Amino acid sequence: MGLSGSESTQALKKTVIIAIFSAVAVVLGIVEAQIPLSAMGLMPGAKLGFANIMILTCIYFLRGRDAFMLVILKTLLTAFILGTFSSLLFSLFGSLLSFAVMFLLMKGGRNRLSLIGVSIAGSIAHNIGQLAAASIVMGTSSILYYLPILLVTGIVTGIAVGYAVRYLVSSLSKISLFEEFLR
Amino acid sequence: MKRADMLLVAVVLIAALAFLVPRYIGTDAKGKELVANITVDGKHYRTVKLTKEEQTIDIRTERGYNILKVHDYGIEMYDADCPDKVCLGFGFISLPKQTIVCLPHRVLVEIASQTGEDEIDGIVR
Repeated sequence: MGLSGSESTQALKKTVIIAIFSAVAVVLGIVEAQIPLSAMGLMPGAKLGFANIMILTCIYFLRGRDAFMLVILKTLLTAFILGTFSSLLFSLFGSLLSFAVMFLLMKGGRNRLSLIGVSIAGSIAHNIGQLAAASIVMGTSSILYYLPILLVTGIVTGIAVGYAVRYLVSSLSKISLFEEFLR
Repeated sequence: MKRADMLLVAVVLIAALAFLVPRYIGTDAKGKELVANITVDGKHYRTVKLTKEEQTIDIRTERGYNILKVHDYGIEMYDADCPDKVCLGFGFISLPKQTIVCLPHRVLVEIASQTGEDEIDGIVR
């Protein structure tokens, strides 16, 4: 191939990072599916969004297309393992909107928003995306009844995910695998 | 957290409040008779009165079944064979505009007050 030694090493490293991240994201997705949030009086179907930790970290270290790959892998694999095909469309819609918002904010607003702000925006975008997909499929806007509560839960989970990403990024930055991807 | 983060949180909270406040001002539906409009796949399926007495509504489609239970002037999803069981998590609802959604089965239950809403005056029993 036309790749020089260091280029192909970097490509390999990226592939490894995406593979590890998607594995962790899928496990986080399975773990959070076991937490009965609706039993705690929260919006049914609401999730903690742990998998977002890996996606935001990936956007931080790698390029947009690598993170996009991770989003697709994570969403498909989680649907395969949990067998939630009926909601695949909704999670894909939410994940992609969330990814787009976080990616644009990381590119454009890095100096203004911290990782926590980006994570909050991502969580809210995820919720809005899912709700929008749901109201399109159901052909009704009455599901938007749940928009306010989803906005608030988006803030809370976004802050939690944001802090997790901050710790993860500072820890990963010390590992040699991530050295060349530091900004 | 940076200043812009705080600003983002504030804006979203205000937006959430802006959606919530009219809901509390507008609900003087106490004492009015409430009904639940059930929609399957975007088509109207049934409208049921929310009575004190218990009634069970069985929705069977090619996608699966949903069993709704009306009691104490409210309604709840009692059982369903959908894969995610999210609809069961909505619990008991009894206020206008509250909804229960079962996405895999495309079932939507929405509470409305019988007086005032135009779409349901035409029911003949």
